[in-house]
This record gives sequence, structure tokens and C-alpha cells, in this order.
Amino acid sequence: MRRVAAVALVIAGLAGSAAAQGYRLRLDTRMQIVSFRGLTQDSVSVADTVSGTGGGPATSDGFAVTCGGGDAYCFFYRPGPILHGAPIVSSADLTLWGLGLPGLSARVAARAAGEMGNDHVWPGTSPEFQLLEGYLDYATPRLTARLGRQIVTSRLGYEGFDGGRLSLRDAGSGLELDGYLGWGLAQGVALPVTSPALNPLDDFQPRQRQIVAGGGGGWTGAWGQVHADYLREVDPDVDYFVSERAGVQAVLRPPVRGLTLQGGSDWDLAMGEWGSAEASASYTQARLTATVGARRYRPHFALWTIWGAFSPVPYHATFGRVRVRAMSWLDLRASGERYSYAPADVSTALVAVESSGWRYEVGATASVVPGMTIDGAYQADFGPGASAAGATGTISYAPDSRILVTLQGATLQRPLEFRFDESRVKSIGMDLQVNVTTMLRVGVGGVYYAENRRRPDPQSVDWNQFRVTAFATVALGKGGDFRSLPPAVRRMPVGERP
Amino acid sequence: MIRAVAAALLVVTCGAARVAGQQAPGAFDHAKHAKLFPSCTSCHAGAAQAGRALWPDSGGCASCHDGRIQKRVAWQVPESLRTNLRFDHLVHLAKSQAPLRPAAAAAASCLDCHTAAGAAWMAVQPPVVARCFSCHKLGPDHLAAPDTACATCHLPLNRATRLTRADIAAIDTPPSHRVPAFMAAGNVGHGALAKVPGGGIAASCATCHARDFCLTCHVDAPEQPTVQALAQDARATAIPVRLAAPPSHAVPDFLERHGGRVRAEQRQCATCHTQESCLACHAGTPRVAAALFARSPERGPGAVIVRRPPMSHGARFTEQHAGLASARSATCAGCHVRADCLACHRPTAASGPGYHPAGFLARHPVAAYARETSCNDCHNNGSFCVTCHAASGLVARGPLGTSGYHDANQFFLLGHGQTARQNLESCIGCHVERDCVGCHGSFGGRRFDPHGPGFDAARLRRKNPQMCTACHGTNIPQ
Repeated sequence: MRRVAAVALVIAGLAGSAAAQGYRLRLDTRMQIVSFRGLTQDSVSVADTVSGTGGGPATSDGFAVTCGGGDAYCFFYRPGPILHGAPIVSSADLTLWGLGLPGLSARVAARAAGEMGNDHVWPGTSPEFQLLEGYLDYATPRLTARLGRQIVTSRLGYEGFDGGRLSLRDAGSGLELDGYLGWGLAQGVALPVTSPALNPLDDFQPRQRQIVAGGGGGWTGAWGQVHADYLREVDPDVDYFVSERAGVQAVLRPPVRGLTLQGGSDWDLAMGEWGSAEASASYTQARLTATVGARRYRPHFALWTIWGAFSPVPYHATFGRVRVRAMSWLDLRASGERYSYAPADVSTALVAVESSGWRYEVGATASVVPGMTIDGAYQADFGPGASAAGATGTISYAPDSRILVTLQGATLQRPLEFRFDESRVKSIGMDLQVNVTTMLRVGVGGVYYAENRRRPDPQSVDWNQFRVTAFATVALGKGGDFRSLPPAVRRMPVGERP
Repeated sequence: MIRAVAAALLVVTCGAARVAGQQAPGAFDHAKHAKLFPSCTSCHAGAAQAGRALWPDSGGCASCHDGRIQKRVAWQVPESLRTNLRFDHLVHLAKSQAPLRPAAAAAASCLDCHTAAGAAWMAVQPPVVARCFSCHKLGPDHLAAPDTACATCHLPLNRATRLTRADIAAIDTPPSHRVPAFMAAGNVGHGALAKVPGGGIAASCATCHARDFCLTCHVDAPEQPTVQALAQDARATAIPVRLAAPPSHAVPDFLERHGGRVRAEQRQCATCHTQESCLACHAGTPRVAAALFARSPERGPGAVIVRRPPMSHGARFTEQHAGLASARSATCAGCHVRADCLACHRPTAASGPGYHPAGFLARHPVAAYARETSCNDCHNNGSFCVTCHAASGLVARGPLGTSGYHDANQFFLLGHGQTARQNLESCIGCHVERDCVGCHGSFGGRRFDPHGPGFDAARLRRKNPQMCTACHGTNIPQ
């Protein structure tokens, strides 16, 4: 905790004393309190099992068990103790410019996390300090050079690395070239792959960080944009590939007002596989937004895991979304997707597994009273592994630009395919956000989950739980009209006006 | 502009007339004294003779109103009118009745303005403004007077020192100012109309406005000689003005395309926008603001940006934005700082629902199994999925079949191949490699071949043979 506060104070102090002409600083502290009952794995010898209520083997006190063929023991879960967690995270996001050299700016985004609860049950609190980004940026109309920890966003995903990046562009022609090199970070987190936090089960872990090299080029014109990317990661320990991928993404805006076409694909050059792809057409008018498209999803695994060799198969989907402003105060929406997996080429005679699925949602948003928004939706998913169907409802009320109150409720039925579990979950919660000043926003919220696990045995544990969240966000700035920062930048509630 | 000036004059003049016409207690009743005074200039000598006072000495009243002949009165010289008129009685007298003798001339010209046609002697009334227009050949419509005419009768605002902010605020907006093109740039806008050949500013503008008024909007005021030609006067801001976005800004895709226009029309943008306009959105890329002026006291604040999302940010945009961001992330960076991305793509442990809707926790299995979206863009499998599952007890402690989780089918172990190939990313939320290598490896175990359709062993061996050794050891099949 003290470290969290210290980091926040240091960063705030740096910002305040910086000799820069301008800065933006956002300090954000969030806390969550959770408690829920976990599961504890147990076993029983085959000889001690009895016939359970469902006809399968069970323990003498009624727990359904799973017995492997030829194994001496059967396994099951007992209700565990109630676990308590209270993660707290402080984030600082700072941009400095006017550092004496025109075009030079600095950027730091860091996070300190801690666990205030008795049980360290919540993910993401380790390590205690994470540098998400920290780089110097030198930009002119024709080039941008960055040095430090940064994240590259491309068709190939979010790629973090410590290194340098150079972008060249020609505004007249709309061409842009980009290249970068450095030591990579792990997928989906601002930590190197060697971090113990990424290996909770003591699995194989690389000994050195991968070297990342990538580049791309794009064109931007009146009719749209197209961008191609290439990325390779190399394990310097053995000098072999960790991954090698390429991708292309395009957005086209034909001369039909409101029509946008977009599509893209990536290829796993290391595995020799076609990766994910999608293509869609969107039509947007004042009262109508509609999208139809098709996509393909194939997971990507780095070559320092064996998972890619297990030949994961892609699925192909068609989807559509439509949103209609039926009246000035009423929006209606509907979306749906149907997908089907490619043949897995494996025999599963004793187990019938779904190989296709669908999902849809219908909903409405109404603004019947100034400041109040009511949203309701019904969503259903059916697919391999799990299904879900349920309704959600939200009432948001902002009596003025300073206060936002949200009530939410949901009910959900979520059967699993591979486990006895026909859970029905109901939840109800409330959030309150207050703009204390134009620079300070605070909020508190809570949600209660009530779950009925309709299992035929005592494993239908009580999973009911409360979750409480609280946050405070301070946004500071100099050298700009801070009050007019848009919500996207200022992280203030929607509808905030200077 | 001329209509604004004319309107201002009308308001000020009428106000002055109203003040002058008020028969307040103690006001002089001209009609009652009609037979006493043979001429106007006997009391208002200053109207005809230089150096004389326009108003009589109040002590003169006491010669009759001494309490014995007539009752005492308390008449006093009225205060000067709050007006911006530059009217001079002597000049008008000299120009209008020059051939006549001074006394007769004065009487004739006074009556021209201060009495109605055919009225009795001393039936005095406030000046009739229409007669000004008639003599000055301005036509009946005061507001339609040409620009050059304003200064004929009116002082510049900074010299009309008796006007209060309320007087100035009451000046009506002339019709010419209501034309849409008046606010536009170019040859028909107010900027062009205000310019005077050879420099300076049109006198008509200066009648109602001062530099402070221009500063309300004009960021580039110090660089505009026309604005600098105006005098400073803080009262000028009493006239309310609201900077409205030009029609070009209302085009639906203006936000997507405004960057190119800035490069082409930089000076025009600098009229209304400061660097702060850019930084309000381009906080993460401050270089884009370098071409504009920074906000400073001598400049107007300019346009205050109230952002609206571009047309592309419609319903369910969060699910669609990946393609747009991938095609050209610099476009996103125009408005968004990386913190906006990191809020979802690097979620914090203490956040409530952000990208995901409320209650998503309960339905995340179905979304994760079939990867409704790419979970791995935001969540690391090890630090997020496995850690949480392990804390809840949902973690494999050994090969498949030794945990009891997949209890819906007693034969799941034998038939897990298809679902593993379909949902491998979900499997590794609880399982690690050693759970699988025991059966699928070539070391002594059951040696079930995990390789499926399209598996290119030669390519993998070339790219990273180390991966092959996890199952095959050094005896990698050729």
C-alpha cells in the first residue's frame, strides 16, 4: 500500500515540478472488495465410491466423482472456504511536452498494485509495480521517433516492447512507413515473459526475453486506409523463432455517404497457417447503423509453447448488427452471429461435442426523461463448451453534469457442456460517480451475485457474493484548455461538458 | 456592419431623446413660457454662438420665480445625454442657414428639429431622428445607411465615454450581421468588410466595436492589422457574440478529414483555434498543435472544443474498432491517448466492468470458449486466467481426468480431442503443457499423436526445433 501511494506521489511531484511547457497527468486509484467461495479438489478411492443420484459414481456423502479408466482414485471438488480479496491499483498517466526541443515529448504510464485482503485471490496484483509505457517521442510532420517502453498496435495485436521505433510519413501522398526493434513483452500484459507472475502453475518458461522486430507500411487517402504489418519474435537464447506473422488491414470509404467497408487477415508464417480474418460492410445514417460481415478466428500460439503443434482449428462466422433510432428517445438494436468450426479431424466416438454455435442479442435504449437512460437487452449464446441466456437492464440517471447514478440488474442461465452445471445467476448493483470538480472524479459501486447451481450433488456450492468497487481520478494539465478535454481523454462520464 | 452601426445609433439616439423628453419634476415647460421668450437663443445661446453655454443659468429663473412674483422653482441644467452623437449646433447652423441673420437662422433651424411641422411656437419636443436621415439623405431606413455615413453623426465607441455597458449591450444587431456569409471568411465576410484600402478599419465598425470585442473570438487578433486598428475598450464586450462553427464543420466526416484541411488552410484555422483546441483532443500527440498560436491574454480564447464522436463510432463500436485501429492507428491517436486503450487492453485488478458489460463474469465461459472477441489482446493467460482459476480451485493438478472438473461425461478423457482443437485457448486456462505431454509425448507414454490437419512438421522444425523437443526430445522425426 505504501509503495502504491509513494509511486503516485512521486509521479505527481514529477509532473508538478517539470520544466515542460505543458503536461497532462491523470492519477487514478481503484479498489475492489470481493469475497466468494472457492472449490477444493479432493479424491476418493474407486473402492469407496457408490452409485450417485445421477447414476454415476459418487462419494458416500453424495459428491459426484470422475474416475479415469484404470485409475485407483476418483476426483471431485468440495466447497472451499470463502475467500476475501481487496485489490487496489493506482495508475498514473503522464504526457510532457515543450521540453526545449520542438517536437519532443515524454510519456509515462505506470501502475502500482497491491492486495489488501487476506487471500491473494485476485489476478493482476503481482508484481506490485508495472511500467505500461515510458518513452521519449520526437515528432515532426514527417517522422516520429520513439525510444523506451511502448506498445505497437497493428493488425497483429498489441505488441509491447522496450526499444526504438521510427515512423516516416508523407502527408501529401498519405504514405507511412514504420519500423521497430526491441526486447518484447508478454502477450496481453506489460511484463516480460520471464516474469514469475506469468507462470502461476510452474510451467515451462523462457529464460530470456524475445527480441522483437517488426515493420509495416500504409496508405491513407480520401477513400480509406490500408496497412500491412510484419512481425517476428526471436528467442535469443536459442536463436529460433518465437513467432513470425504478417497481416494486412484495409478500410475503404466508397463515395456513398455512410458506407464503410473493412477487412483484414493475418498469417502465421512460422506455423504456415492462415490465421484470423474478417470482412464487413457498415452503413451509418442518422437513424440507422447496420453492419454485416464474415470472420474467421484461429488462435495464435507462440512457438515456445507446444500448443500450436496441437493443431487448433479455426471457426468461421457470419454476423450482422443493426441499430435503429425508432424515435428521438428510443434506440433499438439487434445483433447475431453464427459460427462453425473447421473439421478437427479427430475421433471422439464416446463424446458428442458441439462444433457450431450462435449468439444473438436484442435490446433497446430509451431516454424518456432528461438525464435518464434506460437500457435493456436479452442475450443468448449457444456454443461448444458453454451456453448462456439472460437479460440485463440498466438505468442511468445524470441529474446534472456532475452526478451519474447507475442501477443494473441481470439474470443469466449458463449451462456448461463438459460439467454438471446449470447455474442460474441473478445480479443487482449500483454505481455512483461524482465529478467533484472539473479535475476530480470519484465513484463507488457494488453488485450482488446470487447463483443457484442446479447440480444433482453437494457440489452445488453457494457462490453468492458481494463486490464493491471505489475509485478516484484526478486529472491535471497545463498548457492546454483542460476543461475542454473530451470524455475519451478525461475519463469523465458521458455527457460531461466544460 | 453598417446596419449594426445604424442600429446602434438609433438605439442611442432614441435613448437620448427619451431622456431629453422626459418632463421630470422641475423640467422647463416651453409651452407655458411661449409668450415670454421671442427666440430659442435667448436661453440657448450656445446653439448659435461659439463660447456661450447651450443651457441658461438656473439663476435666471429666479428673476421671476422669486417666491413673490412666481413661486420658486428648482430647475437645473440637465445632465449631458448618454449618447455617441457627434452633433454640433454651430456646425449645423452654419451649414443649413448661412444666408440668414444669426437670430432668425437659429430659430429656423431649431424648429426644424425640435418641433413638429406646423406646431405652435415653443411646442418643443425631442429631436426627430428622421429629419437627420432626411437631411443627410440616408433614406428612411437608418440601418440601411452606408458604412461611410456612420461616422458623420456618431463617435467611435471608445470616444463615446458616457455610454454604459448596458447602453452598448442594447444595441441591436443589424440585418447585415445576420446573413450567414457575414461570419464566413473570404470576400463577403465581416473581415473583408472591415478592411479599408490603405489600412485601418471601417469607421462603421468602430462606431459599435472596439478591439476587445474582436478578441472574444479572434485568436489571431495580434496578427490582424484590421483588429489592431481598433482602439481598446473593455465595454465593447458588452455586445454578446457567440462563435459558431462554420458550415464546413457540420459535414458528417469533418472529424475524419479535418487534419488535411488544417495542413492546407492553417491560417484560416488559426483565426478561431488556439493550440488548446488541438490539445483538447490531441493530448497524446502535441506536435499537431505546433502550427497554431498558444493561448495568451492578448489573444481571444477562440473556439472551445466540445467533442463529438465521429460518425464511425456508432453502436457496438468497441467490438468493431480493431479493424479501424489496425488500418491506421494514428487516426485513433488524434483523439485518444494510450490510457484510453490501456483501460481495456491492460485492465487493472481493481476495476469494475469496463469493456465488458456488467455481469460479464457470469457469462464469460461462453464468450471465452468460442472467443467472441480476442481475449488475449487484453488478458495474459498466465497472469490473468490461470491465476484466477487457480485461486478459485479450478486448476488441473495433473493429466486430464485427475481433477474431476469435466464430470458431465465420464468418457470426456477419451473424447476430448475435438473440443481441445476447437477451444485450446480455454483448455490452457487451467491446464499446462505437462498435463498433455504425458499422453501426447513420445517419451514412454501413450504417444497419442496430437498433430492435426495441416500440420507442417518440416516448417516447425526449421523455425523452432526446440518446441519439438518438448515431446520428442532430441529424436525429432525427420
